[in-house]
Amino acid sequence: MQSQTLQAQPTLIESLYRAVVKFYRGDARHFQITYLFSFLCYGILALGWEANLLKYAVIFGTCLAVQALGLHLTKKPMSGLKSALITSLGLCLILKANLPVTLALAAALSIGSKFVLRYNNKHIFNPNNFGIIVTMLITGDAWISPGQWGSSTLLLFFIGMLGLVVLFKVGRIDTSLAFLGTFAVLQFAKVVLWQGWPMDFFFHQFTSGTLLLYSFFMITDPVTTPNAPKARILWAAGIALVSFILTNWLFLHTAPIWALFFIAPVTVFLDKKFKHKQFQWTTS
Amino acid sequence: MDHIMKKLILTLTILMGITLQSFAFCGFYVAKADVSLFNKTSQVILARKGSHTVVTMSNDFSGDVKDFAMVVPVPEVLKREQIRVKNPAIFATFDAYSGPRMTEYYDPEVCAVAYKEYYDYDDVSVNEVQTTSMAPSREFKRMDNVKVEARYSVEEYDVVILSATESGSLEKWLIQNGYKIPTGAKEVLEPYIKNGLNFFVVKVDAEKQKFIGSSTNLRPLQIEYNSSRFMLPIRLGMANSSGTQDLVVYALSEKGRIETTNYRTVEIPTDRDIPLFVKNQGLFGKFYADLFERTYERSSKNNVYLEYSWDASLDQPVKCDPCVGPPPIVTDLTEAGASWIYKNGQLDQSSRVFFTRLHVRYDRAHFPQDLVFQETPNTTRFQGRYVVHNPPYSNSFSCSEGQDYLRKLKSRRADEMVELALLTGWNTWQYKDYLTQYDTYLERGALDETNYDAVLQHGGVNLDQSGETPTWLYILFYSLLFLLPFGKWLFRRFQTIRS
Repeated sequence: MQSQTLQAQPTLIESLYRAVVKFYRGDARHFQITYLFSFLCYGILALGWEANLLKYAVIFGTCLAVQALGLHLTKKPMSGLKSALITSLGLCLILKANLPVTLALAAALSIGSKFVLRYNNKHIFNPNNFGIIVTMLITGDAWISPGQWGSSTLLLFFIGMLGLVVLFKVGRIDTSLAFLGTFAVLQFAKVVLWQGWPMDFFFHQFTSGTLLLYSFFMITDPVTTPNAPKARILWAAGIALVSFILTNWLFLHTAPIWALFFIAPVTVFLDKKFKHKQFQWTTS
Repeated sequence: MDHIMKKLILTLTILMGITLQSFAFCGFYVAKADVSLFNKTSQVILARKGSHTVVTMSNDFSGDVKDFAMVVPVPEVLKREQIRVKNPAIFATFDAYSGPRMTEYYDPEVCAVAYKEYYDYDDVSVNEVQTTSMAPSREFKRMDNVKVEARYSVEEYDVVILSATESGSLEKWLIQNGYKIPTGAKEVLEPYIKNGLNFFVVKVDAEKQKFIGSSTNLRPLQIEYNSSRFMLPIRLGMANSSGTQDLVVYALSEKGRIETTNYRTVEIPTDRDIPLFVKNQGLFGKFYADLFERTYERSSKNNVYLEYSWDASLDQPVKCDPCVGPPPIVTDLTEAGASWIYKNGQLDQSSRVFFTRLHVRYDRAHFPQDLVFQETPNTTRFQGRYVVHNPPYSNSFSCSEGQDYLRKLKSRRADEMVELALLTGWNTWQYKDYLTQYDTYLERGALDETNYDAVLQHGGVNLDQSGETPTWLYILFYSLLFLLPFGKWLFRRFQTIRS
């Protein structure tokens, strides 16, 4: 009896709450924005990163402006601005530079690549990845600090778990697992079986916050990954293999990010070979 | 003539006025904390350009030199000219230049009096450990799987470059040939052998050590090589050690800061106002050692701390602010391996040198991997700087501004005490007179009723209560975030339970 009345006449707060939840669950990007934002807060509050508001403002401003321009020119709905927020947060989390203008360039390149470098309604490069790599190469003023997250196991648990939530909603968990799995097997074989380092040496690498954030949030971008699940696994394994080579023979500290840059365009061929339905952001 | 003299004096006075003002703004350097405050400290200078690395190693070995042995994995078979012995003074220069510093400010006079300037300068004394001993060098015992690639006599050092295919043999070889290496070195040596690295093995030639003179400690050794690897092998030193060791790395690079890629590089707390008695009672060294200890204890114990970063290029007018020791000059930089400041034999004034100082306290449990570095374009300046404030020198506070000043002074000193307790964990109760020191100058009725005693720490600050946000708060925060999207579902469940 009581519950009937409650359902018949929801209070203002209840209906407001329901409306918010309905809106929130309507688009997987809302999850991503929330979680990336919470990582940024974690970095600033718990890990004591230098929070330069001007630099963050430049990143967000440029991303949103370029995205708005792009959406206007291509006559697409302005809800696409949410993607720009994800790209901005990704840049804030990964890229560092001395000058704000360098970050503006990275932001413009990231978003610009989405509108210019596209094939068959998909991006050829991962937007963040493209912006970061090209900015580092041409300016010499930008860098990535792979050690900035440390190797706290608590963080592993949370990033892993939160990543799972986002990915189940988007359906790209196979990509993350294929990448991490292949990379871990190769690295385990080399470091532990062949070289004889103890297990904590191996775990230290795989609990690195940078690697996990990359695995769950960067390579899983549904508009850059191949459409078919089989193709995605192949693709992710390819990235893992290239990362393995770059890590161990060229001593690149940010190997997975470079690997993604080289492997991302392969998606075009994989999509031709393995036909599958293309991903759409909004579920409603 | 008289006219010119007057003009000159006037100009000088103006110039002095400007200098004094600028000094008052920057604060004076009064004390520093040098590496000798930390036990078991090794110091390393890294100079890196492209893939060319120069490593200068200094260690605080103070036992019998015949027990001294050093094993460093190196990426190539070093030639004789790639190995040098350096003057230990270079480490003292770098330490003094980049160490944490205390700066001192004078509050301006509140009630008008004649200006008088005053400051202290603490002299630095270097403790030298005397070593005398002898151990004649002899032929090496042969062993399969271990190859002596080269053997050099480098001043007082007997250097061997080894390559090996099996770690057990290498360990045996080292022991049989009289190198004092820790037990359990075998497991640690194995990965380096598999990685194709050679071993730079050093012993002291006691005869020559004696000849060079007993007044010096073991002198630093410098090696140079080309390799894409930019790392420091710390694992070998932890083979048989459960305790912590300190390592201070001075890095010279061309573009900007050096940081670790497999551990967090964290800035040491800086720019804090601390009580004046830290300076007056000569406690700054202890203050910094305790600050470092406490920062380390409160962390996850696997961080690398940034203590200094500054552009030390030749054309850079301000190489430190305030300077604790003289900034490195051309010879210091070239001695340390920054050979890129010379182009075609000519000193290139426009060449860049960036100085980074990292301090790491490591042990086996928290540092499973060697330290791996990268050079970043980050040119942001950083220094460990702690500030003390002196009340006006005249002690005249009779005017009403003076009385106001005294009340503010007391509240500021209370803040300084809290800061001190938070940074170092010291029991500040013992310094409680610091708060009331200027109460005698307060006139009747002007006494501040605030009970500042409450801010004093009787037994030091509890480690769990201070500063950093506790982990459970983050867990709660993330759990709530995680539950948020499932609110609707939870709400329904809640209703079902109620009905």
